[in-house]
Amino acid sequence: MSAILEIKNLRVEYRSREAGQGIKLAVNDLNLKVQAGEVFGFLGPNGAGKTTTMNVLLGFVNPTSGSASIFGVDVREPIARQRIGYLPELTYYYKFLNTEELLRFYAKIFRIPRAERESRIDAALKLVELEHARKRLIRTYSKGMQQRVGLAQALINNPDLLILDEPTSGLDPIGRMKVREIIQRLKNDGKTVFFSSHELGEVETVCDRVAILNQGQLKVEGRVNDLVDQYKCDLEQIFLKIIGYEVAA
Amino acid sequence: MASPRFILAFLFTICLSCVSYLEPWYQKWSGAENRSGDFLSVLIGDSRRLFSNQMVAKADAYFHSGYYPTIFDAPKEKEESHLSGDNDAEAGHDEDHDEQPGSTNHVEHAEHQHSATCGHNQKSEDGFLGPPKDWIDRFGRKFFPSQHSHLESGGEREILPWLRLSAELDPQRIDTYTVAAYWLRKRLGKIDEAEQFLRDGLRANPDSYELYFQLGQIFAENRNNLVRARNLLEIALRKWQEQEKAGLKPNELSYQQITGNLAKLEEKSGNVAQAIFYLKLLQEKSPVPQTIQQQIDDLQKK
Amino acid sequence: MNNALAVSGIVLKELYRRKDFYVLFILTALITLVMGSFKLFNDDKIVRYLKEICLLLIWVSSMVIAITTAARQLPAEKENRTIFPLLAKPITRGQLVLGKFLGCWFSSGLALLLFYVFFGVISGTREHQWPVLNYLQALSLHWIFLGVVIALVLLGSVVFTAVSSNATISFIVIVGILFVARHLNKIALQLAEPGRSIVYTIYFAVPHLELFDVRQLIIHNLPLIPWNMWLIACVYGIAYSLFFLLATWMVFRRKSLN
Repeated sequence: MSAILEIKNLRVEYRSREAGQGIKLAVNDLNLKVQAGEVFGFLGPNGAGKTTTMNVLLGFVNPTSGSASIFGVDVREPIARQRIGYLPELTYYYKFLNTEELLRFYAKIFRIPRAERESRIDAALKLVELEHARKRLIRTYSKGMQQRVGLAQALINNPDLLILDEPTSGLDPIGRMKVREIIQRLKNDGKTVFFSSHELGEVETVCDRVAILNQGQLKVEGRVNDLVDQYKCDLEQIFLKIIGYEVAA
Repeated sequence: MASPRFILAFLFTICLSCVSYLEPWYQKWSGAENRSGDFLSVLIGDSRRLFSNQMVAKADAYFHSGYYPTIFDAPKEKEESHLSGDNDAEAGHDEDHDEQPGSTNHVEHAEHQHSATCGHNQKSEDGFLGPPKDWIDRFGRKFFPSQHSHLESGGEREILPWLRLSAELDPQRIDTYTVAAYWLRKRLGKIDEAEQFLRDGLRANPDSYELYFQLGQIFAENRNNLVRARNLLEIALRKWQEQEKAGLKPNELSYQQITGNLAKLEEKSGNVAQAIFYLKLLQEKSPVPQTIQQQIDDLQKK
Repeated sequence: MNNALAVSGIVLKELYRRKDFYVLFILTALITLVMGSFKLFNDDKIVRYLKEICLLLIWVSSMVIAITTAARQLPAEKENRTIFPLLAKPITRGQLVLGKFLGCWFSSGLALLLFYVFFGVISGTREHQWPVLNYLQALSLHWIFLGVVIALVLLGSVVFTAVSSNATISFIVIVGILFVARHLNKIALQLAEPGRSIVYTIYFAVPHLELFDVRQLIIHNLPLIPWNMWLIACVYGIAYSLFFLLATWMVFRRKSLN
């Protein structure tokens, strides 16, 4: 299998907004490879550097040093984003548009031919079960529906790699289950999924491999089954051990 | 714990008590201005007079189709021309009197008055821009009015809204009424409107000899009603004299115009003695009494 | 260009789905019609004051539309986090800036067209003359002016953090240029060195937006601007718009989006 996402010696520093804090290190010497067709869980406590890493992968933040590539193309090149779909953690889409218009707009950005555009929109809306609300303005949607709009826009270009930043955050149990089903379906279709989550049970269920990040550093990386065997406990216990959290007796 | 409704009622009662105590005091304190009921004066107070001057300047700019100096255009010259405008007007009228006592050329008067009121004269109008100072200046002159011109053939009506607005903003500004009345009467043939506007002015300025004089001129020149013209001009003269007695230093040119026109009117009515009386009044204030004496002599020979 | 046009389409949709434009248009129409209903000195032919008021309202409204629309574009994308799914797609930041500019410019142009049609109808019915070419010149120069304004405000939106401060500063700068820029050379001549050189430099450096304000020519029915001069003014305005857009892109491309 070939690596379609590769991070080499990535270091990201930023100037802290708090007085007297100076430069803060968000990611420190991160090396990571994600193989084609696998579902990769990117774990870590809040502030571990997960979102910063994703921001580098999407070209939102420039690395201080090191590099990242997707499909062998430097992430700073817009063409690197042609075959990826991205779902941010918290996003509000253009409230004055309806879902259909929003998806049509993103389809235009991907230069999907006009003839194919409508069928792609139909397929994406069917997948996230929003066909009935396609003409409704997004501002009238519930949070769960907005999250599904996010998934639909991430899938509009039929991407080979999906980057999902906490896709189930804030969703009710049914919403979470639906997102999990969608990820499973994508996995079955041979797509690569790179996602961060705090729902370790769900990660254990759907992921092939995971990486655990703490304070900007990669602590553990490997197949879920191998880690469970190695540590003789479930993923949640592994996670707590790695970040140094002592469970009270 | 008191209920919110009780607290609401209590607060409302306090408010009512306060307002019933404060209102009479406020009425007393705010004085005549607030009681005037004039929306503009309540809204912008005395600053409306500044806006009124600006409206007159706007009317003047319209008269020149937008070709008008800004505060950046030779401000020194502008200030001088304002003063010289007044002087020119007076000088011009004295010359008129020399030639035709009692028949002041009101067309020139109004134009002079217009020029003086609006703060510039012909000389400064022609060249306030001067030669282009650089390429941007030269290029820019294609995009705003840069040629001197005057409205004519009825186009003068376009200045009237600004004069009306000026009068609304400052009803005590006499020039606004006289200048507007001039254009209405002389250039646009709107005698009724001119009279109405002057009467509006008189309501706000019942002691204005200028407005009585202009009204008198309407009856003398446009309505051919010599009796009413005489009445109005006599009131104008009386108002002028009252102001002089009160030490208000009324305009002497106006005095010459009033007496001169009264003399002319009496002569026209065949009252030679009365005409001579007015010419003698005119002679007292005229810078060229010999010329007036000559006219008196001529009348006495008749 | 395809991406920029797609972004501009969204801005256009935003304009006609928001209420600002309709409110301003109705307000302009209402004030003009009320002012036009006054019968001054029983003269129906008085029209220039009405043209002046209508054009002033059009200028103020168009500036408000252009400045407020342009000022919120990029900050709102960040604030609402819509920029993240957008820039995660194969679109460059340059295309985004260009798209935002075109969207604001096209939408301002459409609004302007409607305003000028209204103005043309009002003045035409009162004056009984239809100087279409003059209006076309005024409209086109006004549109170019809005292009410079929008580009300037977009630049401000990547420099200043708050939308309101950008809008206010831009408004003051633009109105200041409109009123003073033409006279800076005269002010310079009254100053001693080094003030003279400084003011002269500013005079040559600032965009002379007052060139695009030809209201006086329209109000007073003055002749057409020579077409070659009109063309040079258009090129001048477009060049300044491109200059500000380039500067916007240069600042924006280095910005981290956190």
